[in-house]
Amino acid sequence: MVTGTNAAEALALDNATRAAALADGAAQPKSGPWFLLRANLQVLIDELRADGRKVIGPRVEDGAIVYSEVTTVTDLPEGWGDVQDAGQYRLSRRRDRKLFSYNMGPASWKRFTFPPVVPLNIGRREGREVTFEPAPLDPPRLAFLGVRGCELAALGIQDRVFLGGPYTDEDYRARRAAAFVVAVNCTTAAPTCFCTSMGTGPEIRGGHDLVLTELDEGFVVRAGSAAGADLLARLPVKAADAGQIFRAAGAIGKVAATIGDPLPTAGLHDRLLAQFDSPQWAEIAERCLMCANCSMVCPTCFCSSVTQRSDLDGHVSTSERVWDFCFTSSFARVAGGNFRNRPRDRYRQWLTHKFATWIDQFGTFGCVGCGRCVAWCPVGIDVRKELMSIAPPLAACPETADCKPVAASPTEYATARIRSIRTETGDVSTLVLGDVDSVFVSGRPGQFAMIALPAYPPMPISISRYLPDGIELTIRAAGPATARVIELGAGAELGLRGPLGTGWPLEQAVGRDVVIVTGGIGLAPLRPLIDAITAQRPRFGTVRLFYGARTPSDMLYRTELERWARNSNIEVALSVDRGDERWRGPVGLVTQLFDQATWDGSRAVGFVCGPERMMQATAESLEERGLSDDRIFVTLERHMECGIGLCGHCQMGKLFVCKDGPVFSMAQLGQVFGREGI
Amino acid sequence: MHGTTGIEAPGGPRPGIDHDFNVAYITRVEGEGSLRLRVRDGGVVEARLSIFEAPRYFESLVVGRTPDEVIDIVSRICGICPVAYQMSAVHGFEHLFGVEVDPQVRALRRLLYCGEWIQSHALHIYLLHAPDFLGYPSAIAMAADHKAVVARGLAIKKVGNQILSTLGGRAIHPISVRVGGFSKVPRRDALDDLRRALDDAVAGAEETVRMVAGFDVPDYHREPKLVSLVHPTEYPYNHGRIKSSDGVDLPVDRWDDAFEEIHVEGTNALQARTHDGGVYLLGPAARMTLSPGSLHPMAAEALTRTGLADVIRTNIYWSIAARAIELLHACAEARDLIDGYRRPAEPKVAWTARPGRAAWATEAPRGLLFHRYEVDDRGFVSAAQIVPPTSQNQAAIESDLAGFAPSVLDLPHEEATLRLEQLIRSYDPCISCATHFLDLRVERST
Amino acid sequence: MTATAAPARLTVGIVKFASCDGCQLSLLDLEDELLDVVRKFDIVEFPEASTSRSPGPYDVLLVEGAISTEDQRREITELRSKAKTLVTIGACASYGGIQALRNWMDHDAVRAAVYAHPEYIDSLATATPVREHVKVDAELHGCPINQDQLRELLASVALGRRPQIREEAVCLDCKRRGNVCVLVASGMPCLGPVTQSGCGALCPTFGRGCYGCFGPKELANARSLADSFLVGREPADVGRLFAGFTAYAEPFRSIVTEMGGIRMDPTGPASARPARGGNA
Repeated sequence: MVTGTNAAEALALDNATRAAALADGAAQPKSGPWFLLRANLQVLIDELRADGRKVIGPRVEDGAIVYSEVTTVTDLPEGWGDVQDAGQYRLSRRRDRKLFSYNMGPASWKRFTFPPVVPLNIGRREGREVTFEPAPLDPPRLAFLGVRGCELAALGIQDRVFLGGPYTDEDYRARRAAAFVVAVNCTTAAPTCFCTSMGTGPEIRGGHDLVLTELDEGFVVRAGSAAGADLLARLPVKAADAGQIFRAAGAIGKVAATIGDPLPTAGLHDRLLAQFDSPQWAEIAERCLMCANCSMVCPTCFCSSVTQRSDLDGHVSTSERVWDFCFTSSFARVAGGNFRNRPRDRYRQWLTHKFATWIDQFGTFGCVGCGRCVAWCPVGIDVRKELMSIAPPLAACPETADCKPVAASPTEYATARIRSIRTETGDVSTLVLGDVDSVFVSGRPGQFAMIALPAYPPMPISISRYLPDGIELTIRAAGPATARVIELGAGAELGLRGPLGTGWPLEQAVGRDVVIVTGGIGLAPLRPLIDAITAQRPRFGTVRLFYGARTPSDMLYRTELERWARNSNIEVALSVDRGDERWRGPVGLVTQLFDQATWDGSRAVGFVCGPERMMQATAESLEERGLSDDRIFVTLERHMECGIGLCGHCQMGKLFVCKDGPVFSMAQLGQVFGREGI
Repeated sequence: MHGTTGIEAPGGPRPGIDHDFNVAYITRVEGEGSLRLRVRDGGVVEARLSIFEAPRYFESLVVGRTPDEVIDIVSRICGICPVAYQMSAVHGFEHLFGVEVDPQVRALRRLLYCGEWIQSHALHIYLLHAPDFLGYPSAIAMAADHKAVVARGLAIKKVGNQILSTLGGRAIHPISVRVGGFSKVPRRDALDDLRRALDDAVAGAEETVRMVAGFDVPDYHREPKLVSLVHPTEYPYNHGRIKSSDGVDLPVDRWDDAFEEIHVEGTNALQARTHDGGVYLLGPAARMTLSPGSLHPMAAEALTRTGLADVIRTNIYWSIAARAIELLHACAEARDLIDGYRRPAEPKVAWTARPGRAAWATEAPRGLLFHRYEVDDRGFVSAAQIVPPTSQNQAAIESDLAGFAPSVLDLPHEEATLRLEQLIRSYDPCISCATHFLDLRVERST
Repeated sequence: MTATAAPARLTVGIVKFASCDGCQLSLLDLEDELLDVVRKFDIVEFPEASTSRSPGPYDVLLVEGAISTEDQRREITELRSKAKTLVTIGACASYGGIQALRNWMDHDAVRAAVYAHPEYIDSLATATPVREHVKVDAELHGCPINQDQLRELLASVALGRRPQIREEAVCLDCKRRGNVCVLVASGMPCLGPVTQSGCGALCPTFGRGCYGCFGPKELANARSLADSFLVGREPADVGRLFAGFTAYAEPFRSIVTEMGGIRMDPTGPASARPARGGNA
């Protein structure tokens, strides 16, 4: 609890204690963690002001917590919190006396680093001469008090936008450099927060000068920069004790747990861009007011316009940069018309930029998960709900943000037990494995496992089905090792590492037609893909499977082929090199099944597996049907020993098949594919 | 009299002296009115201020609206005096609902009204009326030769507008007046610039008094019946009793006890009379005559120095001086009000509507403005009566036209017409206000 | 050396129909800039401020007020032919103004009435925007218009460029100013998200919701905003929110028509006047 010692006394005491501690050699890194008593917070404000800085911090004004000048601790919102939800914000009174137990208000720090109106230049015209005088760069020295993790991330994002490219915004640079950042770790969360999903919080890991974590009696303080350490040295702090550090970490951890993961973002870029033609955009547009409030409160939105203010003679004109937004009418207007006239187009532009194309431009999401757009939308449109509705993560492949394969290194193997073996064809059998590590069960279609039996070389085998409690491996007895595995029989154990490699990018197929072309055992790595498609069949357009085999008895999964065709609305076209007495279907290369077809592939995604020559020819045929090479995916096979890109065997040009593949797009492969000797 | 029953030429008929004065569109007044004066044998047979501006139906528009909505709507009756409409309405509702506002809010409302008076009187004096005295068709033309004078007038007007926009958001149709107070009240330091500007405005207003006191004014006197609010201690704005120079003394909400509106043929506006058909006059001359002691000391002193107190009462052409004195009063009082201002804790108090009769009168720049609303038991207005000062002055205008006309019959026609127009301008009529209403009696035949 | 003659000033006329005069007054309220304005513009017709009249033609004609009588309709048509550029100023001329609320009233009931003055029947029917009668070259919105926009319009006419009038919601001015949203933080109904900016977000700055006096913005989604207002409110109360100074403009007009809340029936007592008077 805060005691009544006056600040000066406390200062003297703590400096003495600290000096003593240092003299004792009690190693305390200059950056912390230190502890600042609540009563001494004023010293921080005073020291910042002594540095010639105006301190900007949270204040209660007009029914919200906004950022404006603070000079004393009493200006801060002691005991205030907020209750927020979509389209709703209310201040609330808390029972404690904490200063920073609120979440996002409408204002963001971009008001100060990227102000709404900034003069650019003054233009003068005298007779035929013109001059342009740039506006002086003289930003005020500021200190931001109370910057949250998501807000720090937002500053970092705008740094990339304005300073990270070949052309920079010097006004932004100057303002940013003139701002000292005192960050604060969040100890509460609002229902609108989703920093955890966007990877920006709650814990603050960098970008700050100082960071505070509030406890009842004061703050755990760390410096994050040389400037921060310098200031810290002037504060009456003492070393934070283990209890304080523990409580601080606990508070932050609790926030993360409260928020959870409202918006799984793995694969979101591709999923969202695949939904450019979703009817959902028009549905949102019925609710969206085009008022631009979401982009105004967003701490990363950075668009602007240039306006002129001139006298009546037009001799002197001030040019200004003002906030503008892709929701406004003139944003995409040109002399002949407007590129984005419809509300649905404008909303789509905003959301896809924020959550997809921003990554292509700047390497990160544009969104930091602060939730302001959700709270301050007058009609309560929630971007998380909209994204989950337009481009949800695929149910069959729960996407975990980081899914580490089990036993990734060749030194270790996990084990699995063979539950049963099914003969598919003369030399192909499917092993059903149970007692597998749960990581396997959440693998992606197209991944493979390295299986091992003592004394035999490890084998890379595609996972041919994911079960609720196991996996299936379809193996051809191509050599002694694979033959031995098949002979093991039910009940035997074997060693497993994985799931490894990249999987089929099913998100790219959502909303599109799907073409699957394969032959022989090539259907095995495609079966989990078909499982995923049939599990959510309505999300895909026309699905066509073209499957060829040497003879009818070399076809895998024959009952399932029938079932897919009958129950799942998949067009299954089969072909054999050589028929038997009962075969009534086509005979010939599988590619001949669609060489003469008339269907249009421009809206299709292709998945191909087979011998490389076959995949090459198939890809060419598919391109003739209209599929683009970035939408044709193949899976490759190479000699693999480690399965994790360290043994060098599976190299192909610049690619490691085990690590960068085995699934590749034709565009990715480029020249290397199909060339002799690569 | 409207359109007159005939006034004989003073000193007997003058056969052959026939004149028709027609000004189809009177300029430099607010709104659209026309002048028609007919003289036969030296006697006035018709003197009519015809208001042909289209009626706008406001008393119908407020039916079914809430009190706060009514404040916004009636503001639009006039672009020059919107605050007057807001004030009469808001006080009427508060009176019915039993709402007591914070004394600082009361003071702010006076300050707001000062702003409107300053803006309106400066507009009238410099832009609408002074050109007549100085011989110019407009202030813009006047500025070519008297730039400093016009600039001074515009500067004073600007301060009035600044008061309005500081307190009300914008000068025309301010937005912050609400039942119970204001939607937002300024911090004391937000009034600092205004306070400084008012020093210049006071000096400018004193100059204005000096300027108009020296004008050459037609000689025409009568003893009108004067009506205004009168308050024991304040120059009348929002509070007082309705009094007249001949003994009327009514509570501020009981205008209709002594006065009534009548619908006169040939005009889109109603006129007003006393219950016995008498004509009366509102405005600066009335206020100043009925409340000489409550003028701000600076204004009272200026009035004394001009020596015009009596003629302001009897000669309508001296109304420009009355407005100048009131201009000085408003600037000086505004300055004092800012000095005494402390921000109230709450900008407005809570209120609940009650059914009944909500009525009140306040002093618009042009004179007494009376509102009466019937409020139903859900809190909506069910009927309204709005009596602007110009409607009430209209009869007096026509009476003065008829009375003044004989004295100009010997002047060249154009100059005589100018004098007649100027007489109308002396009333500073606000014609758009007067035509807010058209009485609509609908009878269905089934 | 030949002296360069000063370029001829553009001739300007300012006329008024059914309105309160406030928008014209905005021109006079330019105050110290007024004398600058008259250097570039020769105001030849401005009855409010000058006895010098001119029947035209005009380079620029500023029109205030709604058209509500046959005379006014004739007059605006004639004026149009004499004006090179016609600009409506204010909500009345651009949208019909507050008087347009009577457009919802039952016209037949009005016509079937017995009047004191039958020649005024035509004046009662509707109050309509100028553009329903003649072609309009530009519009300044607002009740009243905003002086910065007026300055911008005059500058653009003087310089021959397109006026920079931003077509965006009031919300943009509001947030640029740093206001806290009254809708989200206080639950006050505010038309800002569907209203054209221009006033500088006055009302929210002063702690009340916008009442739409600048008219609907482009692509105004009044339906969605009205739906959000319906939560906890009666349709008539929501309808009244849109039945203000620009009620006649779509999409506000449809909302008002659908949800009601304003007086549609002109019969019954309009006036609180005692039943006295009549022709004098």
